[in-house]
Amino acid sequence: MTESFSPQVKVALYGLLCVLAVPFVFPTWWMVTSSFKPVSDIFAFPPALLPRSFEVAPYRQVFTLQPFARQYFNSAYIAAVVTVGTMAIASLAGYAFARIRFPGQNWLFLVVLVGLLIPSEVTIVPLFQMFLKVGLVNTHWPLILVPILGAPSVIATFIMRQFFISLPAELEDAARVDGLGRFGIFWRIALPLARPALGAVAIFTFLHSWNLFLEPVVFLSSPDKFTLPQALTQFVDAYGGPMWNVQLAAATLAAVPVLVVFVVAQRQFIEGLAHTGLKG
Amino acid sequence: MTGQASAAPEGTRTTDLEGPLRRPFWTMERRDTLAGYLFVAPQLLGSLVFVLVPLALVLWYSLHEWNVLAGSFEFTRSKNYQQLLEDPVLPEVLRATAFFSVGLVMMNLSIALLLAMLLNQKLRGTVVFRTLFFSPVVVSLVAWTIVWGFLLQKDGGINGVLALLGVEGPNWLREGTTAMISVIVVQVFKNVGLNMVLFLAALQNVPNEIYEAARIDGANRWIQFRSITLPLISPTLLLTSILTIVGSLQVFAQIAVLTQGGPGTSTTVLVYYLYQQAFQFHFFGYGSTLAVVLFAIVATLTVLQWQMRKRWVFHEV
Amino acid sequence: MKPNTMVRSMFAALALAGSLGALVASAPDAAAQGAAVPLRMTVWTGNKAHLDLFNGIAADYQKANLNVQVTFETLPFETYTTTLTTQIAGGNPPDLAWIFENSAPDFVASGALLPLKTALEGTPGYNSADLTPSALRLWQRNGEIYAYPFSTSPFAVFVNNDLVKQAGQKTPAEHVGAGTWTWDNAIATASAVNAKTGKGGLVVRDFDYKLWDNLATIWNGWGAAPWSEDGKTCGFDQPAMVDAMTFVYKAIFTDKAMPGPGTSADFFAGDAAMTITQISRASLLPKEGFAWDLVPLPKGPKGEYAVVGQAGIGVFKNSPRAQEAAKFLAFMTNPENSAKLAQFFPPPRKSLLTLETLAKTNPLLKPEQIENVVIKGIATGEVKPSHTGYAQLSQLVRAGLDAVWTPQAEVKPALASICQRIRPLLAR
Repeated sequence: MTESFSPQVKVALYGLLCVLAVPFVFPTWWMVTSSFKPVSDIFAFPPALLPRSFEVAPYRQVFTLQPFARQYFNSAYIAAVVTVGTMAIASLAGYAFARIRFPGQNWLFLVVLVGLLIPSEVTIVPLFQMFLKVGLVNTHWPLILVPILGAPSVIATFIMRQFFISLPAELEDAARVDGLGRFGIFWRIALPLARPALGAVAIFTFLHSWNLFLEPVVFLSSPDKFTLPQALTQFVDAYGGPMWNVQLAAATLAAVPVLVVFVVAQRQFIEGLAHTGLKG
Repeated sequence: MTGQASAAPEGTRTTDLEGPLRRPFWTMERRDTLAGYLFVAPQLLGSLVFVLVPLALVLWYSLHEWNVLAGSFEFTRSKNYQQLLEDPVLPEVLRATAFFSVGLVMMNLSIALLLAMLLNQKLRGTVVFRTLFFSPVVVSLVAWTIVWGFLLQKDGGINGVLALLGVEGPNWLREGTTAMISVIVVQVFKNVGLNMVLFLAALQNVPNEIYEAARIDGANRWIQFRSITLPLISPTLLLTSILTIVGSLQVFAQIAVLTQGGPGTSTTVLVYYLYQQAFQFHFFGYGSTLAVVLFAIVATLTVLQWQMRKRWVFHEV
Repeated sequence: MKPNTMVRSMFAALALAGSLGALVASAPDAAAQGAAVPLRMTVWTGNKAHLDLFNGIAADYQKANLNVQVTFETLPFETYTTTLTTQIAGGNPPDLAWIFENSAPDFVASGALLPLKTALEGTPGYNSADLTPSALRLWQRNGEIYAYPFSTSPFAVFVNNDLVKQAGQKTPAEHVGAGTWTWDNAIATASAVNAKTGKGGLVVRDFDYKLWDNLATIWNGWGAAPWSEDGKTCGFDQPAMVDAMTFVYKAIFTDKAMPGPGTSADFFAGDAAMTITQISRASLLPKEGFAWDLVPLPKGPKGEYAVVGQAGIGVFKNSPRAQEAAKFLAFMTNPENSAKLAQFFPPPRKSLLTLETLAKTNPLLKPEQIENVVIKGIATGEVKPSHTGYAQLSQLVRAGLDAVWTPQAEVKPALASICQRIRPLLAR
């Protein structure tokens, strides 16, 4: 695949790429532009690529119809806490499984891996009951504790373990000679080297928590506790007209900031993921 | 520690190699073992409390009839499982689930591979396309789904574009087969960027010399693909297919937002059926039975795929 | 260390005892003065006009009961009952909740609601004899009232006369006057509007091919019902229902009189000629917009008929503030406040269902409209369908009806298979 291409092939390839890119990009484009259109224009035929007039009213309505700012904050802080927590727990466990010899570690790793097999929907009913018994339903605790300690963090542990396995042993021997204990080796030597893997874990975990939908719907019943995905589905009022532009404005507000961050940092994003060691 | 600190002369480090002489209990090995257990303890305890115990509880609940509103919880042994076997809706649900998962995995993996291979060419500006293809991964899932919901309406954007081409588009979300295809497409375009990136990394790991050698030997592109590319990226293929299949069995938001399991039961996959039974009708017992079925399916598929690695994967992981 | 710790623990114990004592001592005083009593009522409307009305009543109540603060929590209409029951199952029930008539049997029979008779009758000036027995029927059991039907609202047809005239059709008011306001004519008018202007013809509001019980506003004209009076026999495969549904099917797919699945037309935005809904939506009429009218439901093959939807308010027994909540409910539904609510939510009070009272609180409606639609509708209207186990039942029917809402559907077999599916549930 190293031959250079003739101009015709180049054009064909670029054309193909452009066509393929349409379903990836058009929805986002449509979402942003339609949020500024008046409601009646949204289903206008033929579909307009750019809004005829810019209406900012829907954006204001997003905040008056619901405690949207609060809900945004909920999603953000929960995702941040879960990310930091998962990074801590997964790197500790991944490191131990990779580099420390202790009896039964393979069996314990298998036990942890079971979490990968369990879709969240399988355990949601008993988890609901467990949190109900301790009175933590309709709080954010289930949305924080379960991802950090339960099934979603297993893949993070897996990634960290893969990474730590690839570290040369000499680094640790040298550290031992310097008198570092196991935690010291972990903290001072292994972890700093694990930046790419940690980056990937952080991205995965943040996106996973940011997008959680079933769990908030099951656990949360007060609008001011809702998270963003849940909130986005609430912009309907049977006693009012269709609020499509408000829905789209809310969706834009939810999607665009993360998208902007991604575009700015896209190299780190993508390269971090590529180096997770998942390639084998 | 009280007596021994004074015994060691100033400036001498009591290294662990001298351990058995100075510290009879805490050898390096023992300390390491302790560290090992301590490090994995949070994850392990978490797995116990939030994964294994709920799994056991799900099994336990499936043996009961439990209506939350009426407050009844009675042990009914295998009545729920009998209900499972007699449930007229369940075969449709399983069929929908199979259709969805198979369709999703095939479409996702093939598009991801195609895109990765396109981006692996020596073309300028592939980074831009890489960003574009990956962008839906970071868009909020519900936002993405809501937008597609608008585009898929009978008079929505997609049919609008089709009309410009002179084609009359179907009522995507309200007709059985197209509804399922729509849900699959929405999910695929959301996540395929992720698999694409992983495949790209794997492709870039394949040394060019192998392709050169094959070309010199007269192998055309297709043979190169089949005999070099596929085997060498097979570990990644296996891992992504496991993750994609398991992921496909968990898809909930798209169905809840786009079709609510309809039209009829054509998009009621197992996960959505579970939600209906447990959280809409409040039959937690039967919902748990469905959860057991879901777990069994996932476990079986994963084990099957893992076993197949001996045959399909070129290197051993 | 030891003596110090002893002193420290003594101090701690004293402090603890002291604070506990203060707490205990203050409790009776708190009750006497009135510790803050926050009451939460879940509603399914987010409409500003409605909420302003409720908040006004709550503010009035607070004047006499300083410690009581009532908040109205809006839950989305389409998933209202599911969200409410999830709150209950999650140990987070509200103090008061609106209840749809279709889930009234479930809630009334569940034992979760506080019996209201004593609270209502015990409130001075309440005049519970004023309450019409027919309105209370669904919400009572064994002579006890479990939820108060604060709204018994008839369905009627709002008409956009501008669109009708644009299509060159007789207005529904003219039809009513001539005695020719039948379903056939209604659909013909709707179809003509759609053909001439491209706008929607007739929209059954809130139906959207999901909430099928709103179709009762049509099929009652054929004398059809989803299940028998006692709820045990399936009504979907009966001739009346088959005829009614075939009529609806034709109206949608052949006459294009009603918007098809996936298309929507909002009457109040001027995109449809007619809409079937309750008068509570009158607040959505644009201040200066199209010329509108309000007429009764068209005549069906079985003649004139009326359909009402009900909404009840219940108090949850297990709420720690149940008694306070019941008192607030009695206040909110006393004669004076019922008159205020009558603007959107017709009360079950005989004395208030007169032309003058309703006209006062309904400035938008003309006297004939009030007389023909509201008063007559409430007096003769049949309540929308309801049943125990409604969540599961309605989902099964909805899934079954999806087979009807396609261009190539066979109505009769589809209805028969619905009956097959729901028979075991009806028999329970």
